Amino acid sequence: MRAAKRVLIALCCTLAVAANAKTVKMQVNGMVCAFCAQGIEKRLRAMPPTQDVFVSLKDKVVAVALKDGQDIPDDTLVTQMKEAGYDVTSVQRVDDSLADIRKAIKGK
Amino acid sequence: MAATLRGCVWTLALAASVQAFAKPIAFQDGWTTMAEYGTNTMRQAQVFYAPKYWWSGGLSLTEIIADDRSFEHDISSVQLNYLVKRWNLPEAQGNVFAWGGLGSTRGHDGEGQFTGLATVQAGVQVDYETRRIYASGKQEWFHSSRFTNGISTVQLGVAPYEHDYDEIATWFLVQLRHYQGGVLPGTTEVIPMLRLFKGNFWIEAGADHKGRAQLMVMMNF
Repeated sequence: MRAAKRVLIALCCTLAVAANAKTVKMQVNGMVCAFCAQGIEKRLRAMPPTQDVFVSLKDKVVAVALKDGQDIPDDTLVTQMKEAGYDVTSVQRVDDSLADIRKAIKGK
Repeated sequence: MAATLRGCVWTLALAASVQAFAKPIAFQDGWTTMAEYGTNTMRQAQVFYAPKYWWSGGLSLTEIIADDRSFEHDISSVQLNYLVKRWNLPEAQGNVFAWGGLGSTRGHDGEGQFTGLATVQAGVQVDYETRRIYASGKQEWFHSSRFTNGISTVQLGVAPYEHDYDEIATWFLVQLRHYQGGVLPGTTEVIPMLRLFKGNFWIEAGADHKGRAQLMVMMNF
């Protein structure tokens, strides 16, 4: 019973973090040039919950900052990327801002 | 009417310009404009719109001029482009494109002047690129009751550094081009080129061994 309670609390905490995550970070295959990035950026920026978009060809990362209180489901993002012509290999919800992600990638 | 249309396409392509030997489809809901000046023998301007990432359609103008000026074909056509296959790899992308079009040709040849000649065109392109190497092969055909022209082009390139989205991409390329149909009989052009692109703008420039310019510009938006 106690174990079940712990699992429930852990699950709630995980969901809360995911719900509050302000950035979605995706690893994407096939992005090799600016035109790829341009199409992806244009498509994601057109989504109403999108605050900002960062694309790194070097790290194969597409990061989407979300507006306060808004979200885009993972499945929707994967579909959007597929319809843009690219394949998502992983989706991660993070608390880092786009500036943090940019800084981490550029600082490598 | 045809002259007006031709003027509009050239103006659009040159004003916004270019990705001619890049890809005929940039991205969904995107416009691609490109213009190419191929030494003294080929000029092309194209404007395409892509409703989906796997197909686009638009207008294409191609001038093919024999090296000895014995003929000139100005081909105006409506063209559809289709992404047959794409490979998205962790560090690379490969594509197979095919296209076809219907249009009209005016010009002259050994039999005299002509205009309004129904023409069909078709093409295929295969490309593979990472952020350090680029290879592509393209074959185009233009056919009418009066002529058949073909243009085979291969580009091989290397980048001196791996660019990112916010940086200028620099490429050193060699372009090999062979014409079928008597444009440059028995000759394959070999043209070293420099390609630069950043954001939505792309430019390539080079010259053949006679110093004749090869230039291509492209813009997506």
